[in-house]
Amino acid sequence: MGNVIETVGLTKMFGDFVANDHIDLAVRENEIKCIVGENGAGKSTLMNMLYGMLQPTSGKIILRGEETHFKSPADAISHGLGMVHQHFKLVPSLTVYENVLLGAEILRKGTCLIDTQEEIKAVSDLIEKYKFDLDACAKVEDISVGSRQCVEILKMLYRNVDVLIMDEPTAVLTPQEVDKLFDNLRELQRQGKTIIVITHKLREVMELSDSVTVIKHGKVVGSIATKDTSQEQLAQMMVGREVVLTVHNDVTTSPSKNVCFSVKNLSTINEYGKEVLHDVSFDVHEGEVLGIAGVEGNGQTELVKVLTGLMTTTSGSVTLDGKDITNQWPDSLRSEGIAIIPEDRFEDGLCSTMSVADNCIAGHHGDPTVCKHGLLNRKAILARRDALLSKYDIRVGDIDGAVGALSGGNAQKVIIARELESSPKFLIACQPTRGVDIGATESIHEEILRFRNNGNAVLLISSELTEILGLSDRIIVMCKGQITGEVSPRDTTSTELGLLMAGIKQGEGEKVEG
Amino acid sequence: MKARTVGIRILNSLIPVLLAFVVGGVVIASIGENPVETYWILISKSLLTPKGFLTTLHYAAPLILTGLAIAVNFKAGIYNMGVEGSVLLGGFFAGIAGAYLPATLDPTMLKLLCLLVGIVCGMLYVVVPALLKAYFHVDEMVVTLMLNYALAKVLEFLSTGVFRDQGAGYVCTPTISDGAMFQRISSAKLTPFFFISLAAFVVMFFVMNHSKLGFEITAMGKNVEFADAMGMRVRRKIIVLMLISGALAGLAGAGYMLSDQYHYTLSFSGDPGLGWDGMLIALLGNHSPVGILIAAIFYAALKTGADNINLYSSVPKEIVTVIQGLIILFLAVKLLDERFGLRDRARKRISRRHSAAQTSAGVVSDNNAGEA
Repeated sequence: MGNVIETVGLTKMFGDFVANDHIDLAVRENEIKCIVGENGAGKSTLMNMLYGMLQPTSGKIILRGEETHFKSPADAISHGLGMVHQHFKLVPSLTVYENVLLGAEILRKGTCLIDTQEEIKAVSDLIEKYKFDLDACAKVEDISVGSRQCVEILKMLYRNVDVLIMDEPTAVLTPQEVDKLFDNLRELQRQGKTIIVITHKLREVMELSDSVTVIKHGKVVGSIATKDTSQEQLAQMMVGREVVLTVHNDVTTSPSKNVCFSVKNLSTINEYGKEVLHDVSFDVHEGEVLGIAGVEGNGQTELVKVLTGLMTTTSGSVTLDGKDITNQWPDSLRSEGIAIIPEDRFEDGLCSTMSVADNCIAGHHGDPTVCKHGLLNRKAILARRDALLSKYDIRVGDIDGAVGALSGGNAQKVIIARELESSPKFLIACQPTRGVDIGATESIHEEILRFRNNGNAVLLISSELTEILGLSDRIIVMCKGQITGEVSPRDTTSTELGLLMAGIKQGEGEKVEG
Repeated sequence: MKARTVGIRILNSLIPVLLAFVVGGVVIASIGENPVETYWILISKSLLTPKGFLTTLHYAAPLILTGLAIAVNFKAGIYNMGVEGSVLLGGFFAGIAGAYLPATLDPTMLKLLCLLVGIVCGMLYVVVPALLKAYFHVDEMVVTLMLNYALAKVLEFLSTGVFRDQGAGYVCTPTISDGAMFQRISSAKLTPFFFISLAAFVVMFFVMNHSKLGFEITAMGKNVEFADAMGMRVRRKIIVLMLISGALAGLAGAGYMLSDQYHYTLSFSGDPGLGWDGMLIALLGNHSPVGILIAAIFYAALKTGADNINLYSSVPKEIVTVIQGLIILFLAVKLLDERFGLRDRARKRISRRHSAAQTSAGVVSDNNAGEA
């Protein structure tokens, strides 16, 4: 079997910064190739060059033995090379078939009218051919994230693409959807397609791929057949040092019996009037990490919104240290001692176009240390920023620059520094390490555990099962807006938890009732 | 780094102005006049003679206030088009107060009362749009814009009927009493109102650049979800900021009434109106208070200069309107660039063509060479 795509000495420079340094990559016909590397290693740059979105500074791209230059993504697609992005580009109000055929509509002969029947048939045939579980006539806004991804893949397949590039395909999927995606990809492989997957989840690499290429700092560290390697070896290649993938959580002292944070019979409806939280109750004790596991979209986001003051309840109460704080404003919650690491970093946690200093004080910009009589003290703000940067080892290129220029890990550390520095009693951490590289993940985990070991309470919401299992002292599972079970991280496995999250098996322990 | 970005910002505001003058110069030249001479009259008579400069400052006084009124909202992402309405309502009732309050009152007291009436009216005008925006997500741009027309008709009704000065030969309200008028400081038109306006500028400078509220304004303008999550109580801030804007605009209208117009006519605020001028000034000044101060004085200089062009050259004074229009046009290009990144796209296209030309020049050596 020959190589479908080969790159020889492919280099991309942004100014003086070398994003890709003489990359030699070879993808064989009909294989599933994984490209792994930490955030910022240059994976996306490489793929964007293959896909025609970026032009290489030097080097060659060879497609089936011929040197090619893709001027644009459309050009790449016409050569049989398609890409599915991490963030989908779909029209929610249109149906599946309309999205697939957007820009390539089938017309009735001799007219400029769209032949709807023919369109539905074409897309349905395609779905059947590749054995997807999808309804061609469903509206995209009504289908799950996993199905939307299938629509994106179909878009490419319809355009006769035989090399498919997937950028972080599992980042937005639930564990069950990941399995389904893998089945779909294997089916595509059986039917002769070549697939390139960009990821930094090693478990998935081992499960899915035929060969792996590891990229670090814009250079290829190694290419290896998957069956000849292990997760540990890949991790070591990625970061260049021994990384233990399991979370250090050695403290076995049992948490105190004092309840720090308590939620009772909480229910709420969303803006469309649908009940998204139903009778949710739990306690978080001092010195304890309570993990909430659950497939995304089962009420976790709304729960956090209610707990952080961005949404109101329809019934139920929330107390902190015995004080009722139900439906308080975000600023009062902060002054009561609640710290928040929000799910969407650049939406609710940081303002990407404001400076690092401004982001370091946001939410606490009324504190007497930086603000007197309504006027801000610039010097004190800068001093606070410098203290936070050095204490939490946050690396910034331009210290006066915008926070949006930081890498995911460093941006997340800015949030953690800001939140923990106000000496809160209770931390709500949502997806604290999503999209963060391994080095930063470790240090974020350490910060969370240190905070707990100081006798504080933590509520951890994460879709990373290893994270939930590694950090939590207790785990509750949410499904369809309700708490469906409680397990101990020591007596459960991620398979068990995954099933519980999907609502397949009721918790072995007793069901937590209000 | 910092100095460079500030420099770029200043340049960004200067380029539209310079382009407007260049194109305006072409227009002047095409009617057979000397553009350099005309511009010299425009600038020297309004900025370089003491009397001209003081007159310019006089015209700048209400413009500084309306510019700030726009900026304090636009910077927070609130598109309040009701500044013109606040100016009119504030000016109208300040004039009514000045005319109907007993003339025996202490002059200082009387002036303060009139200004206060203007401020309160300016604030009242934005209450409804502010509440609609904060609690019902009604687009404030539409509401305030439409409300301006409703208000213009209401004021027309009031000034042709209820409050009409029967002695005057045209539609206007009674002239305010002498005690309510700001007296000229010198032979130029400048009155103490300029210093009131300047004081408001100083306050707003600290509010916008150095205060907690200013920080919240910036955060709201850049990312409103972030502001909400950080506990800035965005709803309440929307109302507060719109009221501040209304107060500034009301003060502008009242001050203009007491220092320049003395009675309300149907063309009180001029054409296009102090509020709309304020929008241009805020955009020219990049929503920064110092930028607005400079832009307001520059804009007022154009106003003063227009009269002088009429006096000292044969170029019609409408040339200034042409220049103002051109500034708006070029500012719009700048805004489009900010919104859609026109310049980046152009640069990308050029560099792409350049690199394509380079590679093909290396390999094929002829085809694209002409394009480079």
